[in-house]
Amino acid sequence: MLRRDFVRAVVALGMTPRSLLAQQTANPAPPPPAPVPWTLGLNPKTPLPHTEALDGIAESELRFFTPGQMASLKRLCDVLLPPIGNKPGALQAGTPLFLDFLVGSSPETRGKMYTGGLDWLDAEAQKRYRTSFATLNGDQADAVLKPWLRTWMSDHPPSEAYADFINIAHQDIRTATVNSRAWSDVPSTVAQQSTAVGLYWYPIEPDLLGESSELERNPARLVAAAKSSHPTPAYGR
Amino acid sequence: MKNETFDVLIIGSGHAGGMAAKILTEKGIRCLLLNAGPIVDVARNAQKKPAYELPYRGFRPPGRVEHVSQADEFDANVWVDEQEVPYTFDAAKPYNWVRVRLFGGRSLFWSRQSFRLSDYEFKGKSHDGFGEDWPISHADLAPYYSRVEKIFQVAGAMDGPEQMPNGNFVLDDDAWSQSMQRFAAAGKPFNISVCKQRRALGRDGLASSVNLLLPDAEKTGKLTSLANAVVRSLTVDKDTGLPDGCFFVDRLSRREMHVKARVVVLAAGTLESTRLLLNSKLGNSSGLVGHYLMDQVYGPGVTCSVSEARNGKATKDLMGGGAIVPRFRNIGTKSDKFLRGYALNVTSSIGPIAPRNFALYGAELQRRLEEYHGSALYMTMMGEVLGRYENHVRINKEKEDAWGIPVLHIDTRYTDNEYNMANDAMEVGCAVAEAAGFEVLSKNKMPNPPGYSIHEVGTCRMGDDPKRSVLNKWCQSHDHKNLFVVDGASFTSAGWQNPTMTILALSMRASEYLAGEMSKQNV
Repeated sequence: MLRRDFVRAVVALGMTPRSLLAQQTANPAPPPPAPVPWTLGLNPKTPLPHTEALDGIAESELRFFTPGQMASLKRLCDVLLPPIGNKPGALQAGTPLFLDFLVGSSPETRGKMYTGGLDWLDAEAQKRYRTSFATLNGDQADAVLKPWLRTWMSDHPPSEAYADFINIAHQDIRTATVNSRAWSDVPSTVAQQSTAVGLYWYPIEPDLLGESSELERNPARLVAAAKSSHPTPAYGR
Repeated sequence: MKNETFDVLIIGSGHAGGMAAKILTEKGIRCLLLNAGPIVDVARNAQKKPAYELPYRGFRPPGRVEHVSQADEFDANVWVDEQEVPYTFDAAKPYNWVRVRLFGGRSLFWSRQSFRLSDYEFKGKSHDGFGEDWPISHADLAPYYSRVEKIFQVAGAMDGPEQMPNGNFVLDDDAWSQSMQRFAAAGKPFNISVCKQRRALGRDGLASSVNLLLPDAEKTGKLTSLANAVVRSLTVDKDTGLPDGCFFVDRLSRREMHVKARVVVLAAGTLESTRLLLNSKLGNSSGLVGHYLMDQVYGPGVTCSVSEARNGKATKDLMGGGAIVPRFRNIGTKSDKFLRGYALNVTSSIGPIAPRNFALYGAELQRRLEEYHGSALYMTMMGEVLGRYENHVRINKEKEDAWGIPVLHIDTRYTDNEYNMANDAMEVGCAVAEAAGFEVLSKNKMPNPPGYSIHEVGTCRMGDDPKRSVLNKWCQSHDHKNLFVVDGASFTSAGWQNPTMTILALSMRASEYLAGEMSKQNV
């Protein structure tokens, strides 16, 4: 054995009992994951990427209504809530395709009321004017719609056939439009409805089992992240 | 501390459970409080957002809280998810069961109208022969009401008639607006009293168990609280037959747990307390647990417009303010159409008016909204629902909730008495509006589904006779001396009043009685 090998062996023997003892008295520390231990890099100084709400940026595909029903719904939206002053109308707010999503996600009764109501509008237009509801002019559409308008109190829309659809759809079209980004971007006058702004409650300590079944039913939603409260750091390159 | 037997187990942390915890711990009694849901922290759990940032543009998310008319997309996550904790009913008899399981329960979210019951409610049978009298009177409960009103900082005026007893108020001496004065003058021929609203101001903008009751209990060092504890059933001592704790499941982990206590106080909310008794098969020698479900008729009313306030002429002198019209039917005279009566909430508004009040659309509607802005005056009904044996809840053995606990089947409906009362409210509202010179824009006589008012009471009614009631006048089970139900389940009749003040006063009174009995070793 060369001298240097002997010295190494002695040093190694001298260290062995300590490391053996450490293993006997405590769990061995896990090997450090490389290069940075998993999630430890995120910290309060990490900048939050800024994202936008999808409304007004992306479009959805027609999923629930037939093309004919959608054509009627678009005409209905334009008649009931056209652009007024600087405010966008229901069409500019993307309300028809939003309602396709909302009604299509809703219990069957709501879907039936909408599809039945839109089909009925088209049938009325064909009966009276031999054309589709989508192609009626303003006076013709008024003649079909106005007899069914009612006044009503909260939670109690009319229950008679057709009046229920016209009045509930009117309220839905207004709500969807008023709560759109397009409407929000234009300041409201005193008597103009404003976009609802409220305290949104996230799921509070959701039950994990419930959450996973919820996710199966409704895929994760796209919610805009808040703007970061601290300045974007400038790193040297 | 492990396997410790507590003095009192309190199930539920809302107004009823919070008051029990406060009173009992202040008497030196060690309490364990269980709540089925998590703690809510507004700073962590909520964020201000415009509707267009939400997936459904503010519409109620479809399918999850279909029977919570009060919900929208902003607050959908604070209500109990109907798919997680379902309940059943026949399609012809719908019921809106509106629940909150967050720590503090529904005390976190309530309209804060704060009324006492009067002897027209406590002694209703003596007045008109229907139902049962309560085993207590207003005089018995008055000292407790007074203390509750102080804790909750109830604002009001000393202007109530006999059927709406005055209380220990933060005095409201604001002047009436002209529109409200006109309403009051027009109502006189109808024997209508127009009184200042009575509303709990609370502290720092909140009037809840979590800020007004539980902090006092925590200060004593005698309170232990567990969140996310979904109680499955009460347990019973094999030797004595008395309740001695409960089984619960941890909501997050699904771990099955149990706790022991000398006394059990149910405060889970009327129907959850009753569901627990039925699932535990306890306290029901009368066979009446679950029966006599009541609430209040909401929905009927009138929306009108004060013409002088239109076209931008609304001022604070003319418009604004609210009033309560306490029950006026079947007080001095007798109606041949219905028993008992209803109150009207009256609100004069300087704000916008909803589009549904006009049979118009498009530009024409917008012009009308501008013309009528600031001119609305609303009347809405709160009507007494009679206690009937057949209006009841029972366990549905075919269906379980997310934790495998059998759910409740609710079988209740309004009768001609409620429908006639609702029609009367609408007709009187229209007549007073006409007499005041207001234009009626919309009206409704159809009640909302039972349960909508979130004022469900009864199902463990109190009384002196153990064969005709579940609880005695101290909210104590006739069958088990160490079992108390301190929420709205004990009500013998519903009245037209928001029940919160009465629930709080009954819980305070029952808890002081319990503390006394425990100190005398009677319980």
